[in-house]
Amino acid sequence: MVSTEKRLKQYLERIKKQDTLNGTGKKINSFLQLNPDAIKQAKAIDAKKKKGKLAGKIIAVKANINVKGMNISCASKVLENYNAPYDATVIKKIKEEDGLIIGITNQDEFACGSSGETSAFGPTQNPAALGKIPGGSSSGSAAAVAAEFCDMSLGSDTGCSIRVPGSFCGIIGVKPTYSSVSRYGLCDLSMSLDQIGPLARTVEEAALLLSVINGYDKRDAISQESKINLQKINQKPKQLTIGILDFPIKDKRIQDLIENKVNTIAKENNFKVKKIKIENIDLAVSIYYPLVYVEFFSATRKLDGRRYGKKIEDAAGPEVLRRILGGAEITKAEHKGRYYHQALKAKKLIEQELANAFKKVDCIISPVTPKLPHNIGDKISVQEMYEYDALTIPHNLYGNCALSIPIGKIDNIPVGMQIACDRFQDEKMLQIARLFE
Amino acid sequence: MSNFLFHKVSEKEKEQIKKQAKSIMNDFSKKLSKFDKQKIPESFIERPKSERQEGDISKEEFSKEIMFKNAPNKNNTLKGTSDYIIAEKKKW
Repeated sequence: MVSTEKRLKQYLERIKKQDTLNGTGKKINSFLQLNPDAIKQAKAIDAKKKKGKLAGKIIAVKANINVKGMNISCASKVLENYNAPYDATVIKKIKEEDGLIIGITNQDEFACGSSGETSAFGPTQNPAALGKIPGGSSSGSAAAVAAEFCDMSLGSDTGCSIRVPGSFCGIIGVKPTYSSVSRYGLCDLSMSLDQIGPLARTVEEAALLLSVINGYDKRDAISQESKINLQKINQKPKQLTIGILDFPIKDKRIQDLIENKVNTIAKENNFKVKKIKIENIDLAVSIYYPLVYVEFFSATRKLDGRRYGKKIEDAAGPEVLRRILGGAEITKAEHKGRYYHQALKAKKLIEQELANAFKKVDCIISPVTPKLPHNIGDKISVQEMYEYDALTIPHNLYGNCALSIPIGKIDNIPVGMQIACDRFQDEKMLQIARLFE
Repeated sequence: MSNFLFHKVSEKEKEQIKKQAKSIMNDFSKKLSKFDKQKIPESFIERPKSERQEGDISKEEFSKEIMFKNAPNKNNTLKGTSDYIIAEKKKW
């Protein structure tokens, strides 16, 4: 086994050369803080006789997951001095299995964004396509893995935030089934949708990290039991019916790339392929944002400047304010049931449609995004920005598992394919993903 | 049209953002008003297994250290711990 210390030092050297901590954004800018005790901790892991499942693995963590003693700023000036007084459950589990936390990664401010541009500490570059957005909100976590600054990382996914950066950076990003991974210690964006998950360069590595962090936790009120058998993931499924999502994709090249890949794999393995239509999928974005605006407004009431740092309304950037101010407005107008309540009912509709679809197929495959990433700093409308999430949001609304896997490049930009399976079929989803690597 | 890069938001821009957010929400609301709500049952989730009994949570989770560590203004006892947050005066 490679020594943790040796591996850590290799990564630190790469970070020193290619990343600029809290810098100008000229380099990758994926890390906000490095773990000052990492070398000491690596030595302690190496000295152990009996090592855990993650020994030798160097892991980066998104800046909205509490790691004791580290600055968990959510990439915001509001929390720039916040020092985590405890470990999130996922961090505790990683440490128990001898994973080493190398540092805290950049992200969209309070996870509000799909591009990686809204961080108060500068945007993150896409190591796989310099100049393009890396995707968000787990931008730093994806970029750090893609740039080979660590083995794997943790992100959080409320509507797209693991899968979109996974796709644009050309790596694996897994959104596990809602409630299968504890969110205790996660700074919430929208508590009915948030989920922590892994990013890695291979399905096997992502599965390994997921197998450590998932499972029941009494500290998370919605937590449910869940297990990942790593041996099963390497077994090829004997029979499969693959569903290809029937959805109009603006960039036909993306759809062609995916359909060709699916048809090739299906032919090689004798799997069935069928088109699958989700009747109201085009409503997903309109359902998601009212839910997020209201829940985020509610979640941020604790950021009043008394318990943590600064008052959020005084120090946050435009996208965060849009969600807070919008959330406040529609909460005031909610007595007519026009916004949140209506969105909740429509969410139920998507849930039913996806549940029915998963009775007909083993998985639903689609592009992760309907379009390629824009250049960092480009002017686009809010609606255009929200469109990036059109294909990922439905799986947050239903709460099933979904992942992004790279399947090729267009214009030298990585393109990700989304594989989604029913709730608590994360193991099957990873098994299918292995076929596409 | 705007870029999504972080910048300090002025009071004037805040007002614009508020109006824009309301307008986006109204557009979404209009789209959602088209489906037949009567067909869909109310969203209601029961998780009896997740109900916690009083005293289930360990003291460490609600320790004073966790609660007060990051508060900018707090009292300090002789033991170096804090018991309460000092809120601003006459600003409420």
